[in-house]
Amino acid sequence: MQLAYDVNCLEEGVDDAEARCEVAGSLFLRVEGGRDFERLPLRQADAQGIRQLTANVPDSFTAAPSSFEYYAELERVGTGDRLLVPPGGEAAPYRSRVLNNAIDVDLGVADFGAHRRGARVASARWGDGSASVGLEPGKSVGPVGASSFDVDETGTVFLLDQVHRRVLRWARGAQHPARVPVSVDGRLADLAVSDEGSLYVLESVARPGRSGPLVRRFDETGRELDVVEAAERSPSQIRVAPDGPMVLEHPSHQWTPMALDGYPLPPNEQRRRARTGRPLRSGGEAIVLRVGNELRIAVASGDRIVRSWRLTSATPLGEVQLVEAVGARLVVVVRTFTESADEFRVVTLDRRGVARQFAVASADWAETAPLSRFRLVGRSLYQLGSNAAGAFVNRYDLEMR
Amino acid sequence: MPRTRGFVFAFVVAAILGTAGTAAAYHTRFVADNCNYSAPTPTSYITRDGSAAVALRARYEGYQWAGGCWNDNDRDDSPNDPREDPATGGEGGDCSGFTFKVWRESLDQSNAGFEQWGLLRNVHGPYTAAAFKAGTGAPNVTVSKTALTKMDALASDTHIGLIYAVNPDGTDQIIEAKGEDYGTGIWTRTYRGSSSYSGVRRTGWSS
Repeated sequence: MQLAYDVNCLEEGVDDAEARCEVAGSLFLRVEGGRDFERLPLRQADAQGIRQLTANVPDSFTAAPSSFEYYAELERVGTGDRLLVPPGGEAAPYRSRVLNNAIDVDLGVADFGAHRRGARVASARWGDGSASVGLEPGKSVGPVGASSFDVDETGTVFLLDQVHRRVLRWARGAQHPARVPVSVDGRLADLAVSDEGSLYVLESVARPGRSGPLVRRFDETGRELDVVEAAERSPSQIRVAPDGPMVLEHPSHQWTPMALDGYPLPPNEQRRRARTGRPLRSGGEAIVLRVGNELRIAVASGDRIVRSWRLTSATPLGEVQLVEAVGARLVVVVRTFTESADEFRVVTLDRRGVARQFAVASADWAETAPLSRFRLVGRSLYQLGSNAAGAFVNRYDLEMR
Repeated sequence: MPRTRGFVFAFVVAAILGTAGTAAAYHTRFVADNCNYSAPTPTSYITRDGSAAVALRARYEGYQWAGGCWNDNDRDDSPNDPREDPATGGEGGDCSGFTFKVWRESLDQSNAGFEQWGLLRNVHGPYTAAAFKAGTGAPNVTVSKTALTKMDALASDTHIGLIYAVNPDGTDQIIEAKGEDYGTGIWTRTYRGSSSYSGVRRTGWSS
């Protein structure tokens, strides 16, 4: 196995785009449960004009029955510039896990035609009215609106109308929404609602000179309770885990807790507590890796892989929008696409493979936060969609017994 | 019967070292006071790494509809420009102007050669996002979305962004001039799977 790190190192004050500054680095590895990390030098490599630092992982690590952990330290030679990948370094390294008994699932070929229709549980027309949802203004960009949503255990739908800096809230069965003003920055953001009714909003643009965008917590009336800065520049989603809100950070692609015992965690503590898997409400954590047209999914508990699946598809796979447990089953929503069509596949996995699957239309006329289109509550799947008229939320019964 | 599999999780991670530049004074007439119309420098080759360097210098800078001039001080020097006006003279490129400059293209659409534009050279280039999407111009070709790699682009009729890295969940880190409210930066996007977007590649990369 080879580990490779793309490295872009800019020479200050040099206009030549091809000028390269000197970089070096080390890879640190240890077998899971081991005490000390072993250091390996990273070597310069070039992959199709992309500079990389690489190292081959010794067989003693990859052949081990358990996993191994690793992180890298990269430096700009001759300067004090150093960074850790992932940023938590030794405290929160990446972990490589072996999936010995993955269940193979073939998703076949998508036909982009047979879409299940959901029950419409909330909708709002584009506009500036009290029950409308806003599109971000600007002639030069595509439509962006209704940034995210969430649904609580009672079936209440919360739609983040970032343009109007508010959340529209539909109680179950309600035709018209209540409006909850929230002091967000008005740009694309993700939303998660906790069991006690707190509204967590993950913004997407950091303030100048700061490490990452803000996560803001509001009560059910929209009163801001606290604000914390994310540890990295480009987090993509926020979810409420059993111990509080967690954010998927980038470029590390680690899940980091934003609070501990109800108190916001500063960025350095977030980095130290980062992990590759996302804790599930049902226990354990879900780990996802898409490689081409193959999707590897594992549910881990502590150091043990409890279940794992390997999904392959004749139709290209796009982003994984959702992975949630329902009892012993796992619900996965992944986009499939061709050059001219796309849809979401909803797959329920069990110990034998696919228990059930169906497809839904992508319904993505307007852009949202990248991974905000689906939520699972109980045995109902909710989808945030849009068309030229407005935004809406549909519900699908997963038909599990 | 389940078979033993030896595949593992491992990630390729994009990392950035040292992007700090010099500070510049805030001014609402950014282009008039800072930018130039110097000729580009022809170069004999370009690499994807070099184009990533051009793109990263624009990171955290502003956005200007129809614009193409920015410095490297990691802030938008003309924030809150009117969104509906391409002539406000603010800092930054728009999505297609940013792509044009990062791909180091020529104003002559029949010329597939390489031209390095200075950061403060105010140039947008001849292509809209829709033109890039169609593969218009000698340097540009459409490519299957599954074949795209670093510094290739995803383009719709209204927007274009460059692939900086691929995330393990199938999303991409896109470096793009997103809009007046966003400026230029790297964000996680799902453009690749959307049927609104097509793959586009600049030809002639050196490996």
